[in-house]
Amino acid sequence: MTEVVLNDRLGKKVRAKCSEDDTIGDPKKLVTAQTGTRADKIRIQKWYNIYEDHITLKDYEIHDGMGLELYYN
Amino acid sequence: MANRTDPAAKSIRGTNPQNLVEKILRSKIYQNTYWKEQCFGLTAETLVDKAMELDHLGGTHGGNRKPTPFMCLVMKMLQIQPEKEIVIEFIKNDDYKYVRILGAFYLRLTGTDVDVYRYLEPLYNDYRKLRQKLPEGKFSLTHVDEVIDELLTKDYSCDIALPRIKKRWTLETLGSLEPRRSVLEDDFEEEEEKEENDQLDGLEDEAHEKDYYRGRSPARERDRDRRRDRDRYRERDYDRDYDRDYDRERGRGRDRDRDRDRDRDRDRDRDRDRDRYRLRDEKDYGRDRERDREWEGRERERRDRDRGRRRSHSRSRSRSRDRKDREGGEHRKRHARSSTSPRRRDGAEENGTREEPKKKKERKEKKEDGTDHPDPEIAEANRLRASLGLKPLK
Repeated sequence: MTEVVLNDRLGKKVRAKCSEDDTIGDPKKLVTAQTGTRADKIRIQKWYNIYEDHITLKDYEIHDGMGLELYYN
Repeated sequence: MANRTDPAAKSIRGTNPQNLVEKILRSKIYQNTYWKEQCFGLTAETLVDKAMELDHLGGTHGGNRKPTPFMCLVMKMLQIQPEKEIVIEFIKNDDYKYVRILGAFYLRLTGTDVDVYRYLEPLYNDYRKLRQKLPEGKFSLTHVDEVIDELLTKDYSCDIALPRIKKRWTLETLGSLEPRRSVLEDDFEEEEEKEENDQLDGLEDEAHEKDYYRGRSPARERDRDRRRDRDRYRERDYDRDYDRDYDRERGRGRDRDRDRDRDRDRDRDRDRDRDRYRLRDEKDYGRDRERDREWEGRERERRDRDRGRRRSHSRSRSRSRDRKDREGGEHRKRHARSSTSPRRRDGAEENGTREEPKKKKERKEKKEDGTDHPDPEIAEANRLRASLGLKPLK
């Protein structure tokens, strides 16, 4: 069970609870449920690495409590 | 400089027409190479040439959300704001389907509600294939009428939030539009009339009717049944009218055949769908079915009287068994509403044995759903995930 913190540095900080074999699309949907921005408008990055929707958290080596950057498309 | 809207352009929905596209997407389009190279200094005429070269539609794609040329041209049209006649020409032209879609999209963004419905609905008859670029970067197949349907019913398409337009029935009640008449409606009515005549002819000889029924090609039946299922509501009204007219005169032959088709199709569908439906859906499903089955039960009673006990009994038994499987113990309180008919007696016997496997299935489904996890946080997370359509946490 991985809890990921997504922060857009402008006041929106969202904690998404997912499992490690969920794809990136899943925390995006959870963010949508919590903030109301559409899932396809959200971009999850780590520095300049844009995380693609179809790859699992495990493959990106995203661990519990890790902070990711929330950007918008 | 090049990104400013034409000063002579009027404001759309109270704002600069280019503002219909969101800020981030707009900036992406301005930075796009296609925009900078090809869309510089375009006029309405040269825009047509560019539009004819289009070969796919779509919004943005890829990790950094690159816009498609389709998007750039939509933006250009918003910038130069061509006349309504030109846009309608785009839509009416038959040769270039992407030009048509471009015009339709622009009209959906900028036109009034009545215009949108009036000019976009004829495009429902266009069945040509289109290439659509998905956000992942791949291409997918779609059709003109699918895209038009998306434009008219959804409020988001190609990464642009479509402006809200009034619903069709509002405009109909206001009198600005006529009720929708589909082209398929004429074909459908013809088919129905033809069938009706056929059925009435075969009524006199019962045996003859049986053979005739079997003689029909199954593919045609299936298609007809599928279409019928789709227009179930319309059919029901149809049937009710016919009930009144034909019931006493003709001996309800028509209802008989229709019910048989529908029953058979429903049984088939039910068997197929049984595994697919989950607890949540089952409740709703059961409710609708209850209503349908009430009405059908009445029909079948009449049919029983005409045909003979044996045949209807076997059918009703199988049907009630299916129904019991579906409903289980949850819907016992609904039984008061149902009509009393021969099938109920049969159903009650099967009830005991059928309930247990059903209950086990329900319990199993609950666990899979994960919403009853001991830890309340996880249970809540699972509830949220279930509502989004995601699998529960481990």
